[in-house]
Amino acid sequence: MECRVLSIQSHVVRGYVGNKSASFPLQVLGFEVDSINSVQFSNHTGYSHWKGQVLTADELHVLYEGIKLNNVHQYDYVLTGYTRDTSFLEMVVDIVQELKRANPNLVYVCDPVLGDHGSMYVPQNLYPVYKNKVVPVADIITPNQFEAELLTGKNISSQKDAVEVMDLLHAMGPDTVVITSSDLPPRLGDRFLVSLGSQRHVRPDGTRTTQRVRIEVPKVDAVFVGTGDLFAAMLLAWTHHYPNDLKTACEKTFSVMHHVIQRTISYAHELAGPGRRPSPPQLELRMVQSKADIEDPAIVTEATIIS
Amino acid sequence: MECRVLSIQSHVVRGYVGNKSATFPLQVLGFEVDSINSVQFSNHTGYAHWKGQVLTAEELNVLYDGIKLNKVNQYDYILTGYSRDTSFLEVVVDIIQELKKANPSLVYVCDPVMGDQGAMYVPENLLPVYKNKVVPLSDILTPNQFEAELLTGRKINTEDEAVQVMDLLHEMGPDTVVLTSTDLPSRQGDQFLVALGSQKIRKPDGTSTNQRICLDIPKVNAVFVGTGDLFAAMLLAWTHHHPNDLKTACEKTVSVMHHVIKRTITYAVETAGPGKKPSPAQLELRMVQSKADIENPAIVVEANVLDKSPDQKQ
Repeated sequence: MECRVLSIQSHVVRGYVGNKSASFPLQVLGFEVDSINSVQFSNHTGYSHWKGQVLTADELHVLYEGIKLNNVHQYDYVLTGYTRDTSFLEMVVDIVQELKRANPNLVYVCDPVLGDHGSMYVPQNLYPVYKNKVVPVADIITPNQFEAELLTGKNISSQKDAVEVMDLLHAMGPDTVVITSSDLPPRLGDRFLVSLGSQRHVRPDGTRTTQRVRIEVPKVDAVFVGTGDLFAAMLLAWTHHYPNDLKTACEKTFSVMHHVIQRTISYAHELAGPGRRPSPPQLELRMVQSKADIEDPAIVTEATIIS
Repeated sequence: MECRVLSIQSHVVRGYVGNKSATFPLQVLGFEVDSINSVQFSNHTGYAHWKGQVLTAEELNVLYDGIKLNKVNQYDYILTGYSRDTSFLEVVVDIIQELKKANPSLVYVCDPVMGDQGAMYVPENLLPVYKNKVVPLSDILTPNQFEAELLTGRKINTEDEAVQVMDLLHEMGPDTVVLTSTDLPSRQGDQFLVALGSQKIRKPDGTSTNQRICLDIPKVNAVFVGTGDLFAAMLLAWTHHHPNDLKTACEKTVSVMHHVIKRTITYAVETAGPGKKPSPAQLELRMVQSKADIENPAIVVEANVLDKSPDQKQ
């Protein structure tokens, strides 16, 4: 497999978020990963302390220039996640547009990180950039419910609403949308959460068809950081292997997440000791230890096709 | 295995040098790798063009401070390679000293990158820093012949002289020294180069014994970048698994190198096309494709144990 990904995300010295979360699993699955580190921090910002440096939009441009001057700016995928800077995001859009001109088959996988549980945790001025510039050039997006509602201006109170919101997102650009988590009531009980996906295909005769899936995944009683980054990276990998089968791609992606998270929570509890809440360092994803699950995830969740 | 490495090396967006070369193989072997990127460049400096930014000594300090403030500054290994800046190197030394205080069993694997084939390719003022501050702290050192000669002030023209130079390097600090390549004539002919290793094993009774080995490594007709970084990382891994058996550690390390390099040259020649010299971009190590070889390298080279002087008093 000769597949090259350009991933533009954070780098942390210690732990697994951003590029640290995305690179190893993609490499383990045989993808060539070129990575531009948008920041270099000691660790993620959920620890008591964090220190480091950010890359400016200009510096991003300079790095891309180096790649371009050597004529090696051919990519099959671009992957982006958490950003805090509008000028940086706009530079990313320019780069994606240029790379798409160089390779019209390029797939841009975008996690439109804006917030969760009803509030934004990035500067508000990123919202119009995502809505008007980023999402229109995306091919696969992985918003949570809040981000999906924000981007479309429509609330999700039922599965029907969610389907409409995903259709609105399709109309904005991406042919593949996965709402990674929602507040919709799970059929399997309140220990689960509901995710949904939608993928638009054009048939040979020119007509359109949409495959929609619903997955229920076990809730975990902990706050993880870097899981969204791992999710987007693994969705990239599994939609690559199953480009017309969102059901299977999602089953594999959600299953990998489950294995990594289970391993992480077990280890974290062991380290913290009985009755103690694990700390952010203890909750770092057990990425390296999950190599076998990443390579070949045992399927632990079934996606149902919905109309 | 719960083993954490702090690797302070370059990052390139594309390709495999520095941290890009060291991290994936170590992670594949189950090591936790914390990485401080000393630079971020588009690609290595052997391409026609390269662009990017460097980390200052101050910024390095700031990153380490973050780790320290969170009380997660516990490491089993440190790994460093190519550096161009004396003040940066000096902060690296400070960090290592502090980490060794936090964990006296910490092993510092150092590739003292200064030059090759008789010429320095880093600023000259790095030599005293390596000689007086870095090498004394190191536990495993991977100089080539030129760097070993520079550090000790002695020339290597024979195997005996190589052993003497390695003994001098032991006295400067590291208990494990591997001369990654030399000009010494190989018993297997001129298609091979000679590498040597020496490991001081300290016995409970206070005496020490040296295991010395040499390996004949097939030469390859190409210039690779990042192979030294991969070598140091894999030597870290295999000496971790074989701490008192430099012969096996080197056989595994050199074998991994062989598999990665062969796969790389085959692909590069194929991509370049018949009669064409592969470009730097085409010669990037086939790292990701070599995962199975990294995990479990088939041994393709046998190290010879050198007979030398008997046990010495410490």
